[in-house]
Amino acid sequence: MPDFKAEIRARLAELRLPPVREAEIVEEFSQHLTDQYEAAINRGASEEEARQAVFQDLNASELLNRELKRVERRAPANAVIPGREGKLFADLGQDLRFGLRTLIKNPGFTIVAVIALALGIGANSAIFSVVNAILLRPLPYKSPDQLVVLWENATHLGFPKDTPSPANFLDWRKQSTVFEGMAAFAERSFNLTGVGEPERLDGRRVSANLFDVLGVKPIIGRTFVAQEDQPGTKVVLLNESLWKRRFGGDPAVIGRAVNLNGEPYTVVGVLPPTVRLPTSGNWRDQVWVPLAFPSEEAASRGAHYLEVIARMKPAVTLPKAQAEMDTIAARLAQQYPATNTRIGAVVKPLHEEIVGKMKSPLLILLGAVAFVLLIACANVANLLLARAAVRQKEIALRLALGANRMRLTKQLLVESVLLSLVGGVVGLGLAYFGLNVLTRFIPHDVAQADTITIDAKVLLFTLAVAVITGLIFGLVPASQASHFNLNETLKEGGRDSGAGARGKRLRNSLVIAEVAISFILLVGAGLLINSFVHLRNLDPGFRADHLLALNVDLSEVKYPDTQRRTTFFAEVARRVQTLPGVRSVAVAGNLPLTINGDSTFIAVEGIPDPPVDQWPDVIYRTVGPGYFATMGIPLVRGRDFNDQDTLDTTPVVVISEKTAKHYWPNEDPIGKRLKPGATTNTTPWRTVIGVVKDVRQNDFIAEPKMQMYFSYRQMKDLGANALVVRTSVDPLSLGTSVRNTIWSVDKDQTVANIDSMEHIVASAVARQRFSMLLLAIFAGLALVLAAVGIYGVMSYSVAQQTREIGIRIALGAQRRDVLRMTVKEGLKLVGVGLLIGLISAFVLTRVMESLLFGISATDPVTFGIICVVLLMVAALASYIPALRATTVDPMVALRAQ
Amino acid sequence: MSLTYMATPVLDRELKKGSAELMILSLLEYRPRHGYEIGQLIELRSRGAVRFNVASLYPLLYRLEKRNWIRGRWIEKSGQRRRRYYRLTSAGKKMLAKQRHGWAEFVAAVKLITATQHA
Repeated sequence: MPDFKAEIRARLAELRLPPVREAEIVEEFSQHLTDQYEAAINRGASEEEARQAVFQDLNASELLNRELKRVERRAPANAVIPGREGKLFADLGQDLRFGLRTLIKNPGFTIVAVIALALGIGANSAIFSVVNAILLRPLPYKSPDQLVVLWENATHLGFPKDTPSPANFLDWRKQSTVFEGMAAFAERSFNLTGVGEPERLDGRRVSANLFDVLGVKPIIGRTFVAQEDQPGTKVVLLNESLWKRRFGGDPAVIGRAVNLNGEPYTVVGVLPPTVRLPTSGNWRDQVWVPLAFPSEEAASRGAHYLEVIARMKPAVTLPKAQAEMDTIAARLAQQYPATNTRIGAVVKPLHEEIVGKMKSPLLILLGAVAFVLLIACANVANLLLARAAVRQKEIALRLALGANRMRLTKQLLVESVLLSLVGGVVGLGLAYFGLNVLTRFIPHDVAQADTITIDAKVLLFTLAVAVITGLIFGLVPASQASHFNLNETLKEGGRDSGAGARGKRLRNSLVIAEVAISFILLVGAGLLINSFVHLRNLDPGFRADHLLALNVDLSEVKYPDTQRRTTFFAEVARRVQTLPGVRSVAVAGNLPLTINGDSTFIAVEGIPDPPVDQWPDVIYRTVGPGYFATMGIPLVRGRDFNDQDTLDTTPVVVISEKTAKHYWPNEDPIGKRLKPGATTNTTPWRTVIGVVKDVRQNDFIAEPKMQMYFSYRQMKDLGANALVVRTSVDPLSLGTSVRNTIWSVDKDQTVANIDSMEHIVASAVARQRFSMLLLAIFAGLALVLAAVGIYGVMSYSVAQQTREIGIRIALGAQRRDVLRMTVKEGLKLVGVGLLIGLISAFVLTRVMESLLFGISATDPVTFGIICVVLLMVAALASYIPALRATTVDPMVALRAQ
Repeated sequence: MSLTYMATPVLDRELKKGSAELMILSLLEYRPRHGYEIGQLIELRSRGAVRFNVASLYPLLYRLEKRNWIRGRWIEKSGQRRRRYYRLTSAGKKMLAKQRHGWAEFVAAVKLITATQHA
């Protein structure tokens, strides 16, 4: 039969009809002619006669064209080429509608893709919310970029950022010219009494100008004035929550006297909750009083406990400020060699000081979630590729009918962006719920953690991520669709043309990428988990289990001397000891890992004092009898303190093993004498009576430093402010009864921070736990997504080979062999992915070094375990589809397609 | 005298055009038909007197479709190629009634004239 279509098409060419319309007319005409031709043959005409008869009609093509021209519209000259002026969005509505219809028509595909994208985008939104709140949001102060923190630099003594002493701070403030203002503050706790239950409040002594330096305005009242920065002034600022909680938010509180530490303070103002000064621990300021140095304190260069904030003048840069501080520090070192030799000054941006510790874990997490999203993208791209294979016929037809490749690509991209936008919306929901959980694991001392929320910036970020994601995973199938060879596709007649070499190569590379990225994430998580295990296995130096800790801050007014304090604590200890579930109880000064303990250099009898800049510090704690036994700190030599060690007996000291080894490496330290400060100090010598194991006092991670302990009964200053209780039951269950017992001794006494020592240790590694937990979650997510990806590709590839497998089995191949062949193919991809992942991880995990503990960034054990895990998951993901394929009846398989 | 005999090309075309629409609409009155069938039926029922070739039949169909009197639709019946079937729309039905009436009047008028001449 003649090719009518070609003939008709040739005759219609001149009309330049729209392609779809032309195709329709060609088909209709050719059918008519075919019918005519067949009818002629049936009537007995020869093929040639039939052909002539048919063409006779058609040859009146002038007529045809004239007639058609009357009814048919020409194709518009610039039909649907996007990119032209004003045309870019012309078809967007149509594309969107079409895309939406396509997605709804394939609910299975859409749901799987949306879930993968929602997980990836949601994880990104959640982590970005945290990054946004902690790293990106400016501090709630006036021009926060100008605010800096000043430290003393005593690197040679192990304190690269040491808290300045009052005299140094005052000199800095007097001599510097680069700052608009400089203010200092120091933590101090207060007992609030006289209004309801007694309460211990975190607070600070602050320079009168601190709030001017920060640029903080009070909610009501005023801040301090310069004259109030003098001893004897009793004025106080409250924070908003305390004001609301204890004073009902009554504005009349201004001018009222409140009882703090047994003394009346006049309230002058209330500050907003945004005032958050840098803190080393869990300190939440509720009250502020003027710093008001007494003259002897103002002259002290040896006591380092201040923190200093300054505001640089507008034109001053950080290096310039640093340079001036260097000059001042050098001058002070010359002027006061005894205390200031080699002591420098460090200027750091306030923002860095407040959020610095969270920066690298957060950035690593942000990188990790980006990886998770990439894996999700690879998965969806794979799904799209598989679907593109199915849709190839549709696409080929559209191309054949004259669809513009650009337009087609755009259509496919619109579809994928639409998909990822839906994923983004669902992901935002996931992020919202995820954040509720996430914020619980953020260490309490992280500033601005309570401002984490999904705000406009997060929404914008999510939108951007969704659109970019859609473009990334949509580009692969779209470019493939617009590149494929039309002839080939049509020739293959739509039969599995998706398995063309190009499609297969693409799918395989996506699997390889997924495996490589998952490997990096898993190794990262593995290293952190390993570090965390190492951390948790660190011996803190005491037994943290079954240990209750609480703060009992005595008022200096009510308990002004050692005698009264000793009586109080002895009575409390006696009564607590009788409570059921209590094994032992002891009085303590600062507990390990709660507050950075004080330290001092010491003089040792018989050893000359070293030069100032080589004099090591020793951390000291003030404790009561029974402390070591209650804490579970092993006594190595000598004895513990007892009730006979009082102000009237020989001053004694217990030292740590490290101190003993340093000063008496080859001798028994028991009976030797030392004292805080220099030999020339007038303080009495203290006799060493015992040696205990080292304890991690300030920093859980760093190696313990030298330590010593005094008995609070031998201290004139207030030393003890805590109780530790060894219990035989859950320690927290005794909290209330211990508190009530203390109140039975003194009903006005505050009790605060009731906590288990186990929890205190856990908090010390909270930041590490935060990073570890999140990275582990994301790595787990990555593993699941990668497994799904491998499974998907293997299923597809096996489904394509069903016929081949059927033939092999029909020809006598063992199912086992077929199984092995298929799994091997999967594992080959995984192997390549692993290799790439291994090399990349080797490089990338180095950025994590600062987060790791007790393990190298290239720990071979972790790398090895992750390899095995990933291989096993991959093997399983290839095994299941392979198994399914081999159980297919060969006859059915052969009939397939 | 038969129409074919009398027809000069011009008259033939004009007459055909006027009547062709009516013929097609009539043929579609009770059931949808495809183009070839329509062509065949016209030739058959006019006993070969009226015959459309592809070049004129389809443009006519398209014009009727454009006027919304008939509607074409691709239908695939089992064992057959898919074909475009045309059916009458409600507007087409009204038009058919109107044209029938007009045609009857026209034929009557022509008859009157031709009859007088012969009488």
